[in-house]
Amino acid sequence: MSKSLLFLLILVSGTSGLTRAAPLQVNPAGHKAAAPDVSIGSNGDVAILWVDRSPNASAAGNHDRHIAATDVYVAFYPAKGGFSSAIKVNDAAGAVWGQQVSRPRIVATPNGTWHVSYAINDLHPTHQKTALTTHYTRSTNGGRSFETARRLSTLTDQDMSGTIHGGFVSAAAFGTMAAAADGSIHVLWIDTRHMHHDSESGAMYAAISRDDGRSFSVERSVVNTGVCPCCQLMAVTNDRSELILGSRKVLPGSIRPATVMRLASVSNETPQAVSIGGAPWQIAGCPLKPTAVAVTGDRVFAAVHNGGEDKPGVIFSVSKDNAAHFDFKGLVHPDAAVSDAPSIASNGKTVLIAWHARANGPRHVFYRYYNLDGEAQGDVQELPTGDNAAQTPVLAVRSDGNYQIVWQQGDNIFTDILAGQ
Amino acid sequence: MVRHLLATILLAVIAQASWAAGPAKAIQAPEFKQVLNSHRGNVVIVNFWATWCAPCLKEIPDLLRLQQEKESEGVRLIGVAVDEPTANSAEVERFRSRYFPSFRTYARAGAEMDELARVIDPTWNEVVPTTYFLDRDGRVVKRIQGKRTLEEFRLALEAISQK
Repeated sequence: MSKSLLFLLILVSGTSGLTRAAPLQVNPAGHKAAAPDVSIGSNGDVAILWVDRSPNASAAGNHDRHIAATDVYVAFYPAKGGFSSAIKVNDAAGAVWGQQVSRPRIVATPNGTWHVSYAINDLHPTHQKTALTTHYTRSTNGGRSFETARRLSTLTDQDMSGTIHGGFVSAAAFGTMAAAADGSIHVLWIDTRHMHHDSESGAMYAAISRDDGRSFSVERSVVNTGVCPCCQLMAVTNDRSELILGSRKVLPGSIRPATVMRLASVSNETPQAVSIGGAPWQIAGCPLKPTAVAVTGDRVFAAVHNGGEDKPGVIFSVSKDNAAHFDFKGLVHPDAAVSDAPSIASNGKTVLIAWHARANGPRHVFYRYYNLDGEAQGDVQELPTGDNAAQTPVLAVRSDGNYQIVWQQGDNIFTDILAGQ
Repeated sequence: MVRHLLATILLAVIAQASWAAGPAKAIQAPEFKQVLNSHRGNVVIVNFWATWCAPCLKEIPDLLRLQQEKESEGVRLIGVAVDEPTANSAEVERFRSRYFPSFRTYARAGAEMDELARVIDPTWNEVVPTTYFLDRDGRVVKRIQGKRTLEEFRLALEAISQK
């Protein structure tokens, strides 16, 4: 069956209220793909982003340790039908530092601009060593091309490579991005510039654009210390254009709770991080567990892997007061050997959580619906991917109220539609 | 009898050959299983790490020191770098050879981060560093998550040796 026909089936099934269509492979043949992200434009277009180890990616020009050899690619599925060829987003081939635990991000603003943020391996001009920096680019022509990327994080004069024991000069990565209803773009990342040799935590920095990505504010420290340096930030905005930010704190004794912050503006606020609950997790290492967040009105939903539970796995919490307090709802997949990598979305009527887990056999993607009070609506369901291992799902709410799900299966990216219910 | 002797010698040669700290090879689960099987009779410390994981990098020198101390007692250290295979093992090897040249490590070749870990622990939750201690029969007897000191690793090893 041709890809066009498959895609039309997806569109028709989505608009007619049918629950499932056939999964569609997104990456072109010959491109090894990983770490997807998804966003829905205001006109209903679907954008799927991924880290690509294409035949043209080259490590030439990259340097020494921690180098990457990947690019960021995007494919668009317009609501009106047909689909675009995948295009490379970054300028310098093979410079992108993107992976499952620090994914590039894509968001759309109401006027149709697509925005992408990602980390790259930079070369510090003074120290001539690798620095990990956060970059941004945008497309103002419907995704046909992207502008030359801009570095949003500052290259400081520090050489942290001894602190990170032979690693980067500095690191500004594990970041996220969110677009607000007022058209503002928020880019945030975890930054090591204040770390010393015995530090376990980093800082959170941000830059904001109020002109659709034409310019960004000078970076600002949102949280100076106490941020888990390797748990990717996750962010969404509410209907008041406030930022809802999922992150992980580091407390004395290496306790690392998953938290949510609400910020009216990253420009001038020091936010309060509220724990989403669950058993305390003590770990003097890299949990690599983002706190996924979604929002509907004053309700904030959070899902994250918690290694502190008796049976480590994905937990779910709900706030009914705009992230001031959270009600812990427990494990989403109690029967799994280990569940991880959750994504969460809400279409205003339901909440959908997707994650990967091992139940019997290969890793698969699972999902479960909840109502807005956080009560499960049915059992855990498995995305049928046969014997293939599937992982790292991401969710977005489509313009028709259904959910777009994207996941990695082997070295490919697939997408499908799940009912909004 | 002769066949058994030859098999034993062959296994020992394989173990010795695979033990020398050579380039970080990207492997998949079946080969990793063979590597571990070839070390039956030794206590094996398997350390999951990543080139971008600062706590991992801080503890590797202590693990190498422990290996040096205990090598004559049949203790072997094996690293597994969980860096994305999109970065390919050349980058892991470049990092290893520059900073930890005596560290015997493998890199994962597959798309799943836990592909090699599930050979010994199907419930690994992809936290790094994670260190497993395998007894001389190849059974996991201890799992440590998070950075530890040399003294803590020594104590863990002593506890296994006393069993």
